[in-house]
Amino acid sequence: MAAFKNFPRHSGRSRLDYILLGAMIALVVLGALCVMSAVNSLSFSNPVVRTHLVALPIGAFAFFVGWSFNYQIFDEQWKFLYGFILALLIGVLLFGSYQRGSRSWFVLPFFSMQPSEICRVCTILVAAAYLDRRGRRIRDVSTLFGLGILLAPIFGLIMMQPDFSSVVVTFPAVLILLFCTGVNVFYLGLIGLLAGVAGIFTVGWTYIYLHPELTDYWIVNAFYQLAHSPWYMLGFSVLVILGGYAAWWFFKQLRIFLPSFYFVLATLVVLAGLFGGIFVDHQMKPHQRKRVETFLAPRSDPQGAGYNVLQAQIAMGAGGILGTGLFSGTQSRLGFVPEKHTDFILAVVGEELGLWGTLLVLGLYLLILWRIIVVAYSASDRYGYLVCSGIFGMFFTYMLVNFGMLIGIVPVAGIPLPFISYGGSNLVASLWALGVVQSVYARRIRA
Amino acid sequence: MSVTKIFFNARLKIMMVLACVAGGIIALRLIDIQVLRHQAYLQMAERNRTQIIYQTAPRGRVFTSDGVAVATNAPSFSFYYLGVGNTDPAYLERLAHDFAPHLKMDPQAILSQLEKGVKTGKAILLAENLSTKSTVALQELQLYYPGVYLIEETKRTYPYGGFASHLLGYIGSMTEREWRNRDMRLGYRLNSKIGKNGIEKKFEKELKGTDGGVYLEVDYRGRVKSIIQDKKWAAGSDVYLTLDFKLQQAAEEGLKKSKTGRGAAVALDPRTGAVLAMASAPAYNPNIFVQYSDEENPQQSKKIDEYNLAIQGTYPPASTFKIITAAAALEYGHLDVNHKINCPGHYDSGPRIFKCWGTHGPVDLFDGMSNSCDVYFYQVAAQTGSAAIEKIQRKFMFGRQTGIDLPGEKAGNLYGPTRRARNKTYWFIGDTLNLSIGQGELLVTPLKLAQFAAAIASRGNVYRPYYVDKIVSNQTGRTEKIGKTEILQKADLKPETYDLLFKALKHTVEGGTAARVRIKGLDVYGKTGTAQNPHGADHGWFMAFAGREGEEPSIALAVFVEFGEGGSSAAGPIARAMLEAYFDIAKPTVSSATATAAADQPTAAAVSTLSANERSAEDYEELLANGEEDGSL
Repeated sequence: MAAFKNFPRHSGRSRLDYILLGAMIALVVLGALCVMSAVNSLSFSNPVVRTHLVALPIGAFAFFVGWSFNYQIFDEQWKFLYGFILALLIGVLLFGSYQRGSRSWFVLPFFSMQPSEICRVCTILVAAAYLDRRGRRIRDVSTLFGLGILLAPIFGLIMMQPDFSSVVVTFPAVLILLFCTGVNVFYLGLIGLLAGVAGIFTVGWTYIYLHPELTDYWIVNAFYQLAHSPWYMLGFSVLVILGGYAAWWFFKQLRIFLPSFYFVLATLVVLAGLFGGIFVDHQMKPHQRKRVETFLAPRSDPQGAGYNVLQAQIAMGAGGILGTGLFSGTQSRLGFVPEKHTDFILAVVGEELGLWGTLLVLGLYLLILWRIIVVAYSASDRYGYLVCSGIFGMFFTYMLVNFGMLIGIVPVAGIPLPFISYGGSNLVASLWALGVVQSVYARRIRA
Repeated sequence: MSVTKIFFNARLKIMMVLACVAGGIIALRLIDIQVLRHQAYLQMAERNRTQIIYQTAPRGRVFTSDGVAVATNAPSFSFYYLGVGNTDPAYLERLAHDFAPHLKMDPQAILSQLEKGVKTGKAILLAENLSTKSTVALQELQLYYPGVYLIEETKRTYPYGGFASHLLGYIGSMTEREWRNRDMRLGYRLNSKIGKNGIEKKFEKELKGTDGGVYLEVDYRGRVKSIIQDKKWAAGSDVYLTLDFKLQQAAEEGLKKSKTGRGAAVALDPRTGAVLAMASAPAYNPNIFVQYSDEENPQQSKKIDEYNLAIQGTYPPASTFKIITAAAALEYGHLDVNHKINCPGHYDSGPRIFKCWGTHGPVDLFDGMSNSCDVYFYQVAAQTGSAAIEKIQRKFMFGRQTGIDLPGEKAGNLYGPTRRARNKTYWFIGDTLNLSIGQGELLVTPLKLAQFAAAIASRGNVYRPYYVDKIVSNQTGRTEKIGKTEILQKADLKPETYDLLFKALKHTVEGGTAARVRIKGLDVYGKTGTAQNPHGADHGWFMAFAGREGEEPSIALAVFVEFGEGGSSAAGPIARAMLEAYFDIAKPTVSSATATAAADQPTAAAVSTLSANERSAEDYEELLANGEEDGSL
């Protein structure tokens, strides 16, 4: 960790972090090659390749915009930014085109775009601005509620599309942002508890839903009824409240004096988790249930839902150390790997470039993450620090979910790998985000 | 500088550490997938992308020692639709309609298969195992209908039908159990045929060969992208048997034509122990398992007679056993061969009277043997003792398997006082007398008797019979010798004993019960036998060995006809036919006709009193009236 001690806070007059830039360019070039290979065509007339190649200069432009604009403008004008996000999201709900089960695309005469991608970065900028404004009250619980109220419409609108995977990435990014801001860890723990309770209920119900024979056991059945019968819900809520009260009473008897406020909060969080879980459960579509199932037992149905992950792993495994060479991986070329140019592009990298390719991508990602942190340290104001933390959180989540999905430690979430995957909107938004980071670097503390 | 204090640097550091840990875990898992499990995933990827239209390799052929292919391969064709090209429904309908009569299939069935192929884009097997007859028409049609392919394969065929069927075995589809236990290295497929019995099973590994195939690269929906490789098959190795084609055929025909059509004939080479013929009737035709799919196929019963009488049937050796009795008397009993014993037609053992099948008057060893006089051998056995007879039995390994490399061989049963003593029961004089003429608990298989004949002929070599000579690889031309002469035991009797036995057996052929096999130009030695059967007609035995005049014996045989009644009448003609086939002696010319006639007429001076009828009833009389009372049967 010597890097942290000697980072060039004062030295150098560069307005651009070349390491970050280099890593970014390397990833983008690698990504372009892999997209070309994945869609099995060297011809530039292929619509996918063409779109990607058109998106590259736009992304470069976005990078320069992000870099040259003073990032503090987002802090000042955050209300407009917030309005812009809401306008985009409402707009896509009204005018967007309906594709593959969700209304998340603007189809314009020359190109189409996915506003939730750009909104993701904007959300981080807005959240950072809000937290910056909280100043010293940052550790108050009201900060969390305030942020929650602020972001709820955004998440709500995204869920209405619905674009579940977008939330999956944005939510942890905001959490990481909160953590780096210095929010009381207890509150973060509560949020984690909330997500955990909701997640456990959801996964459990999904599992039972897919294995109806399990309801023969009364306890499983009771658990399952919790999601559907109001009486069960009421009964469980009363139990939780009683449990919270009992815990409070118990601690009092032990002469351990914790603020009673904590117990109320914990009880509320568990209840919120339950109802959140019920909400998510009712929102879930069969294919999403299938994904959860696949994650729980990947080999249970290799021809069905587990097929995608298995084929992606076969592709990576077949690549070995050196890979089969660009444009010659059979798994991706013959279409065994699904979504090979978007979510599963790493499988193409793994098959055609081998272990070196995947480790290169991983290394470049870690390099980018490290540089973002270095930039965050050198930021001249708190807003810059918060923006970098949020963007760090975003890329970290992307990396974690995308790699994790491929190696089977995270459910398939339909999340692309920025810079590498095909997807113009994502590429432009990601490059813009790094441009903003460069902007923070350019305006760093000088001696 | 002071501004930095309001930031929470430590937490960002924690995040970076977390990122590094996550990166490390991911890297480890990547190494696990891409390096450690590389081979497994590579195989899966290969399997994903290749679809193979297999071509079954021709199985290795099976030859007899004189070079006749008795199991070989016939061309057969499989008919595929690749699901590419013209997929117009009208075209498919026409295709189905045109091909249906040649495939002997319903046009609708073909059409549904074709549609499945079009829908999935996969290569579809429409028909397999087609004969050359229909493929001529199909090949022509193929020119008009792109997208259909005829793949040449081969099919097992047995040109001589039931020839040595119990040795050759047959092939068939794998059972679930065989599939589970299959040899992974041989590349079996679900529809592979596998040797089910006999040589086909025993040498499955050698005979199988390596299947070829057209390797197609397919995409994730199975659509054919390109042909990667057209791998030619490699035929299996050829197996050479020690069987003599004509001899085997003569034995089989003889058994088929015999009175009951049930029996066995085994011939060994007394110089090596090689099996020259091994026939068992009833036999079966292994071709019924490998028929063309488009041929008129009468719904034949696939139930076959797999019972190999030659190694699985055990019967009392009857009079052929008198050779042992004589040997025991010569070896241990100081028998004076010229001493005449009077045969009044019965023998008084004290508690019981044993009958002879005729009244022979005074006979010495040679006449006793040639007339198969029971009284002579009763007398000799009573003097020699049953222990000596059992000892000789052991020398010739009675009651033991011959050790031939065939499954399910029966050992038969050795009969004698020590065996009886082990069972803690008593041995009576009647047992000795029963034993002396090969009745009682004594049981042998036809192969065992042939082995015994070969042992006598070779003056004591008890061979382990073998029937596979060598395996010749069709790929490398390498010859692997399989069959080796193996002497299990040396029956070390005195040379004079053998000389006398030879003389007695020759006498039997020249002027006795075995006169049916008297052939000009050959030195034939033989002995008949009729095994009494309390449940039906008696079984006929014939045991012989022969060589060209003045040479050492080159064939030893045992013929058995179940319920054949007479050893000479039922088994004799088969033995004669076999000898004629083996020594390539022309079929009944005038001289051999007289020889046959001579066998039926009392020309032999020594047995002048016998008529042809009596002779055929000869061994019948051997039946001991008290056999059943004895409980020995």
